[in-house]
Amino acid sequence: MKKLNIIIIVIAIVFCLQKVNAQVINWNSTDSIKHIVTANFGLDYSVSYGIGYGYKLNTKFPLIINANFSMPSGENLVDDFKTTIGGQIQLLNISNFIGSLAIHGIYRRHETDMVRLQNFGSDMKGTFGYYRSHWFVAAEAGFDKAIVTHFKHSQAFKDEVYADVIDGWYEPATGGNFHYGLQIGVSFGKHDIYFNAGKIMQQDFKTSPIIPIYAKVGYNFKFGKYVITKPTTN
Amino acid sequence: MNAKIKLATLLITLSFCLSSCKKEKYITDAGNLVPKTVDHDPSLPSINVNGSQLHSQAFGPADSTLIICLHGGPGENFQYMLNCKSLADKGYRVVFYDQRGSGLSQRFPHEWYVNQGANAIEKIFYDDLKGVINHYKTQPSQKVVLLTQSWGSMLGTGYAGKYPNDIDGLILAEPGGLKWDDVIEYVGNSRSFGLWSEILNDVTFIDQFLTGKENQHEILDYKLTQLSIANSIVGDMKLNLGSNGIYYKSVRKGAVIASASFEVGQKYKPDFSEGISDFKKKVLFFYSSNNKAYPDNWAQKIFSVYPNKDVFKVQGVGHSGMIDQIDTWSNVTEPKVLEYLNNL
Repeated sequence: MKKLNIIIIVIAIVFCLQKVNAQVINWNSTDSIKHIVTANFGLDYSVSYGIGYGYKLNTKFPLIINANFSMPSGENLVDDFKTTIGGQIQLLNISNFIGSLAIHGIYRRHETDMVRLQNFGSDMKGTFGYYRSHWFVAAEAGFDKAIVTHFKHSQAFKDEVYADVIDGWYEPATGGNFHYGLQIGVSFGKHDIYFNAGKIMQQDFKTSPIIPIYAKVGYNFKFGKYVITKPTTN
Repeated sequence: MNAKIKLATLLITLSFCLSSCKKEKYITDAGNLVPKTVDHDPSLPSINVNGSQLHSQAFGPADSTLIICLHGGPGENFQYMLNCKSLADKGYRVVFYDQRGSGLSQRFPHEWYVNQGANAIEKIFYDDLKGVINHYKTQPSQKVVLLTQSWGSMLGTGYAGKYPNDIDGLILAEPGGLKWDDVIEYVGNSRSFGLWSEILNDVTFIDQFLTGKENQHEILDYKLTQLSIANSIVGDMKLNLGSNGIYYKSVRKGAVIASASFEVGQKYKPDFSEGISDFKKKVLFFYSSNNKAYPDNWAQKIFSVYPNKDVFKVQGVGHSGMIDQIDTWSNVTEPKVLEYLNNL
């Protein structure tokens, strides 16, 4: 029942926020693993650093719920960041060809001398690839939607740019970017080292962000094991 | 107990969903995050030129020498040039206008610009400038001077080269480049932010919050405004317009004209110095000490194309400081400009 509640909460968040920063996982080396801690570094709309935690539920379809935090480099470390919470589930496993779906809710913040933006969004990502116990390669594609954003402008903005600017929550969705690429990784013992990279396109399919690619190098540490007990017969 | 937890979770979820579904402000409505343009706000001063409604203001006696101020960009606005309004007090007719698709002037779709083809620069910018001059010119013998900065100086140079007999004076402040390859090199040098810097993530991080389709001017203009952060490479400082700021309280960038201009530039590689060797009248050329992308050898490369010129290096300011810093304008730039105007 506890697991059911967790699933409800995850689905609820995803439904409300409609949409990730999924962990890159070697699905073929997590069989009885409970916990996955990850750290990564790379390009994600800027040079960024991230950490995350995943908890693998012992369900029929392998399901990992996870939370991630990342922030870009720069002199002000706390003015910009992104947090995600959600889950990723393995939907297909045929002869080491594995397909999975990740859905995460996003809260992110961005602040400059002109404005502070806070956004709730969502990210949905599908992954399909070939997974062995010591390595994997997969293709990934997803959509990151900035659903609702709060604008709070500085006095400097109002003094020098636009005095009548209206602060507050803005809808409908203020942004959206597709992303697609590849992920590769190696696994040994409790460790995964992975690299994923690809292209980002804005939702109009015509324009790209200033940094039109993403690329991350990451490390997973897996620990804690489920005890598999065989049913007894009388 | 479990049922209660589930019920509470669902209620919280439902209330969050309902509150998040409430009608809120729209980012695409002009006036919310960006000011309205002249075609949406009749209270703004404007003129009609070549089928476009341009935000424009003029100061000083209508029959005296016309000084047309050309702002940078493309896609900027004339607000930062308002210190030049003081020339009206010296007896000159000073004209400001936001170029087509820029500032508070009327917006046009991206296709309109790129469909002008190989003549895009002429159709978009030269024809409008000619129209503005004709609008404000009250008599055929009235002298016309272009007072320009950055992209405005590239535009002014191109216009003077094309119509050398229509212009009596040309005042330039740091045209980035005149031949297309030089333009690209200057743009690259002036925006080479460090990979780890705060300024880079200030510019790039916003891309996950805001995306606009090709002609969603309100979103794209707002985003471009957010990207216009102080640039230490070119020595930009906070605007200091003294009491002139009251004439233009709202600033808006023109993102579509900016991207479309770059697109046609990349395609047709215009040479803004074409014909300038035929412009034999004296040119007044300013450049700054604090723009790291505009060292002496770059300035020499750029001003070498003008056959007759006075060159002046303004100390202590950056790319636009000789105009947008009130003290520098009043004590350094304006006296040079007045001396130049008096000798026309």
